Amino acid sequence: MKKKFRIYMPFVNAGMQETTTYRANWIFLMIGNVLGCFVSYFIWKAVFISGNNENMNGFTMPQMVVYIFLMFLTSTLISSGGTYDIGEEIRDGSIAMRIIKPISYNSTFLFQELGNKFMTVCILIVPLVVGVEAVRCIFTGSVQFNIFNFLMYILSCVFAYLINFFFNICFGFIAFIIKYLWGANMMKNCIVGFLSGATIPLSFLPDTLERVFLILPFASLNYTPVMIYMGMYSGVSMIYYLALQLFWVLTFWGLSKLLWNVSIKHLTVQGG
Amino acid sequence: MRQIKRMLRMHKIFVAQELKRMMEYKGDFIVGIIGFLFAQCTNMLFLWIIFRQIPSLMGWTLNQVVFIYGFSLIPKGIDHLLFDNLWAIGHWTVRKGDFDKYLTRPVNTLFHVMVERLQIDALGELIMGIALICITLPSVAIQWSLLKILLIIAVIPFATLIYTGIKIATAAIAFWTKRSGNITFMFYMVNDFAKYPVSIYNNAVRFIITYIIPFAFTAYYPAEYILTGNNPLFNIGLTIVISLILMVIGIFVWNKGIRAYESAGS
Repeated sequence: MKKKFRIYMPFVNAGMQETTTYRANWIFLMIGNVLGCFVSYFIWKAVFISGNNENMNGFTMPQMVVYIFLMFLTSTLISSGGTYDIGEEIRDGSIAMRIIKPISYNSTFLFQELGNKFMTVCILIVPLVVGVEAVRCIFTGSVQFNIFNFLMYILSCVFAYLINFFFNICFGFIAFIIKYLWGANMMKNCIVGFLSGATIPLSFLPDTLERVFLILPFASLNYTPVMIYMGMYSGVSMIYYLALQLFWVLTFWGLSKLLWNVSIKHLTVQGG
Repeated sequence: MRQIKRMLRMHKIFVAQELKRMMEYKGDFIVGIIGFLFAQCTNMLFLWIIFRQIPSLMGWTLNQVVFIYGFSLIPKGIDHLLFDNLWAIGHWTVRKGDFDKYLTRPVNTLFHVMVERLQIDALGELIMGIALICITLPSVAIQWSLLKILLIIAVIPFATLIYTGIKIATAAIAFWTKRSGNITFMFYMVNDFAKYPVSIYNNAVRFIITYIIPFAFTAYYPAEYILTGNNPLFNIGLTIVISLILMVIGIFVWNKGIRAYESAGS
C-alpha cells in the first residue's frame, strides 16, 4: 500500500501543478459555468412565476435554486477527462509510453486527476456550500445545514466520481473505432446531461421514464448526490441509492478492465 | 479591388483544401454534426417538459420561445461554420507556438486564420435552427411585408458578425496571455441568455446582454422584430450598428495583439 502510494504520488503532484499553472484559464471556465447556472435560474424563476403552483413536482423555487447550484458543484467535482485523454493517446501513439511502464494504465489517470480534483475542491466547495446554505437560510428563516447529509453527499460524490471515471474510460476505447472524439464526446455529454438530471430534475419527467432513469447509471452520477444533500433521500431510500451507486462503480470498473484486456490486443501504434 | 479578388481566390483554395480533408474522414464529420444536433435536441426536450407545467412563460407561448431559440441558431451556426478557427488561437495555437506560421506568410494574419478552416459540425446547429423555425412558423402568426423580409435577410450577416467580433477580440487576448480560450468560453455562456425572451430577466441582466456583451442582438431582438414587427430601428438598426462596432474593436485588439506577440517557441 505504502509502496503504491509512493509510485503514484508524482502523478497527483503533476495534476495539482497542471491546475495551478493555468489557474486564470480555470477561473474563466468556472465563471462561464456559473453564468450558465444563472440562465437556468432565470428560466426557472419565470416558470415558477408563470405556473400557479408553489410546488412543482416536489420542488419549490428556493429548492430549485439550491438544486441548480448544487448540480453545478457536483458535476464539477465528479467530472473526469479520461475519454479525451485516452482517445488522444491512442490516436497519436503516446499510449505506448504508458503501456511499457510497470504501472497500471488506469491508475495513472486516476491519480493525476485526483491532484486536479484536490485543487478544485479546495477552491469551490466552501464558497458554493456557504452560498447554497445562505439561500436556504434566507428563504426558510433557519439554518438547514445538516452535517450527516453533507457527509453522505461527499461519500455519494466519491462513488459518482468513480462511476464517471470508469465510464469515461470505457467510452474512451471508442477511439479505436471513431477517430473524431470531439463529436462523440459532445453526443455523450448531452445524453448523460439529460439522463443524469443536470438539464432538468428527473421528477419532472413522466412517471415511467423517471423510474427507468433512476435505475440507469446516469442518475447515480449527479442526481443521487444532490438529492442526498437536499435531504430528499433519507433512511432506507438513501441506503438503497448509495448501494445502487456502489453497484455501478463495480460494474464499470469490471467493464473497463475487460475492455482494456480485449482492446490492448488489437492496439496498433503507428509511430509514437 | 485587386486585393479583394486575391482574398476571394485564396478563400476558394482554402475551402477546397478543407473539403478534401473532410472527405478523408467522412464518418467523423457525421458524428460531429449529430453531436451538435443532439445538444439542441436536449434543450428542446427541456423546453417541452417545462411547458407541460405552465400555459405560457411570462406571456410567451412554447412556439414563440422555440422560434426565438431556432432563430438564435442561425447566426451562431454561420459563424461556427466559417470562423471556428478563432477558438483554436485562444486554446492552443499561440500557446504551442504554432502561430508563427501565419506571420511568415504574405497574407493578413486575421484573414488567414479566419478562412483557414471550415467547421462542418456547425451544420448540426444550422439544420436544427432552420427546422425549428419551419416547424413553428405556421403557429406564431407573423405579418409579412416585403420590407420585413428584406430586413431579416439583411440582419443575419450582421448578427453573425457580433459573434465573430467578440471571438476575434477574446482570441486576440492570447497574444498577451498565451491562452484565452476560456475567456471566449465565458463570453459564449453569456450568449445562452439571449436564446430566451429577454423579459424573463431582471434589469441588470437585461442591461448587460443589451449594452455590455450585446448577445441579445444576435437572437432575441431580431426575432422579436420578426414576431411582432415592433421597433425596427432598435431591433434591427442597433443590431447592425453594434455588430460593426464589435468588428472594429475586434480588429483593433487583434492588431495591437500582433504587435505585442512573442512566440512561445516550440
